[in-house]
Amino acid sequence: MSARFATLEEVVSDPVFPEVDVALRRGRHIDREDGEWYAFVVDAQDHLEPLYRRYGCELVTQSDGYFYLLPTGDQLSRRHLSSGEMLVGQTLALQYLDPATVSSGGLVTREQVLTRLGGLVPDRDLAKALEPRRKRFDDERIVHEIIRKRVAEAFRHLASLGFIDVLDETHLRLRSPLLRFADPVRGLTGAEAAMERLIQRGEVVEPEEDAEPEEEDGEPEENDAEEPSE
Amino acid sequence: MTESPRDPHRLLSGLHRDRVSLELTTLDLCLLAALHLRAEQDGLPSFDEELVFDVFDQVSSLVEPGGEPSKKRATHTIQRLRSQRMLARVDATGIVTAGEYSLTSLGTVIVKSFLEEEELTRESLSLLTGAVIASLARIRTAAERAGGEAAWRSEVVAPLRVTVSDLVGGIERRQRGLDGQQEEVQRRVGELLQADWFGAVESCQSLLEAMATTLQELNEVLLRDGSHIQALLQEIQQKAAAAEAAEAEETAQRVGEQVDRIAAWGASRQEAWSGYYQYVHRFLRDVVRLDPDRALSQRLLEQIRGFPSRPFAFAVAAESRIRLLRTVSAKGERPPVGRPSYDRERELAIVASDDTNTGPNLEELVEEALREEPSGLALVTERVLTRVDESEHYRSAGRIAALVAKLTTPRSERERPWVAVSGEVEIEDWKLESGSR
Repeated sequence: MSARFATLEEVVSDPVFPEVDVALRRGRHIDREDGEWYAFVVDAQDHLEPLYRRYGCELVTQSDGYFYLLPTGDQLSRRHLSSGEMLVGQTLALQYLDPATVSSGGLVTREQVLTRLGGLVPDRDLAKALEPRRKRFDDERIVHEIIRKRVAEAFRHLASLGFIDVLDETHLRLRSPLLRFADPVRGLTGAEAAMERLIQRGEVVEPEEDAEPEEEDGEPEENDAEEPSE
Repeated sequence: MTESPRDPHRLLSGLHRDRVSLELTTLDLCLLAALHLRAEQDGLPSFDEELVFDVFDQVSSLVEPGGEPSKKRATHTIQRLRSQRMLARVDATGIVTAGEYSLTSLGTVIVKSFLEEEELTRESLSLLTGAVIASLARIRTAAERAGGEAAWRSEVVAPLRVTVSDLVGGIERRQRGLDGQQEEVQRRVGELLQADWFGAVESCQSLLEAMATTLQELNEVLLRDGSHIQALLQEIQQKAAAAEAAEAEETAQRVGEQVDRIAAWGASRQEAWSGYYQYVHRFLRDVVRLDPDRALSQRLLEQIRGFPSRPFAFAVAAESRIRLLRTVSAKGERPPVGRPSYDRERELAIVASDDTNTGPNLEELVEEALREEPSGLALVTERVLTRVDESEHYRSAGRIAALVAKLTTPRSERERPWVAVSGEVEIEDWKLESGSR
């Protein structure tokens, strides 16, 4: 047990608890850059883990230095990241691992991410993955528009989940929780086995199991950055 | 040295008007650098034309090995440098005789910025701040003894502007050099990791440590000496204020601001570097050490490429915001504002005519009164009203006036007097002319 908190009551009475609790329940990843929040979770971890377990959730601790809440039961609602968020998140993770990003202290531009993503997945496949229910991708202009909108939307949502900080119109700061996107390829057991393990733990779903809600056409939803779409 | 307030707008307009521009090739810069080095080596204050041509030939054969050195090209280059105020002709004679040249201050500054790395180290900073403190102590003593405007100017203002300002400027210049070094270290860390991922960890760490130590030491010197410098400047400023030497007071204040800027620079750079330092350390620990073969990036790359054909999604908690219900109000529900609905059309009722109400026929009464040729409306009204029921006086007064107007030709003054015609009624009077009916 930590020296800072002897009982759960002390944890709950801490002034930081309500903010951290609400943030975790909304899917926020908390890392070292969160300072006070991170120190609180580290100190209260022994009490918080059994508390959240009672809600059917797991307080996941990663060796990379971040926490998040993973609902495994039905008591706390959960959602699955959209294809756009997944693709952008993985590309950002790739940028995070790039030595060139180290020179800039973890800052990248939106354009760099778009270029990187464009270099990995052909535009049409990318647009199709971003809007799976749309049937036609003949018009190049529409394809680019879909990519632009969905990627911008993904940046906003990933920022609200604590994966990145949106600094201004151009710059993003990459944070360590992005390494979660590399989880399926991290183990020594091979990607298939790692994926199986993540699915079993409820960390990952494949679309056949749980189709994600996607808008068909039109504008991407304008959600509050503080509250990810549900 | 005098210092007049500068109007940036005017200065910039002047630069624009004069179409000021600099255009230097590598050959030009090399020639300037070679001349500077030769002057340093041989202690030359200026160069004769022959020497400049010699240096040009050497530089030209070095920079453009295949090129044919020619006097024409050398003359052209010298001319270009002169027109851009890099070289000055100092012999003060005409064009015919061979020239004598020297590097201008602009040329010297440009060459120096390329040749000299003004490093900001603990030693150089301590030396500079020590020199500032020594100068200020001398100036303070001079300020104590200064009597008269001329003494203040020569003993206090001038040394503050020249000696102290130059020394502080030297620190600022070296700070900019250190900013450049920081950028260089950041770039170098990236390059080292790119070239030798795991093998670069040690060298990256030592680079970071070295820069962090430098910044920390500099900040310590700035904290220690900064307050001493400010205290001395404060004393000088107070003495100047007491002696009403406004120029000296203002100069001391300006130097104080310059010193403040330097201290703020130290603090902000140390903080920024600390952020970067932590970031790179985390990267080295969490990423590089855990993935020594750099296989993760490659596997992640494959994962992204394969994603459209085999998508998957992470689960995240998504508790919606708590719905806050409005508190129950103790007040009863207020009914909406409205009017009861009913038929607002009133039933018509049969009533007696006005004539019957007023008793005797008004027209007859008026005619009767007019026959007596009264002088005004008031008299007519008064007479008629005596024969009308009192409750009808007010209504009848208007009718009487109408009948009088119909039956006679009244004359109205511009200011009509108000005249009482009964106990309760007053009217504005008209004059009636006799025989007007």
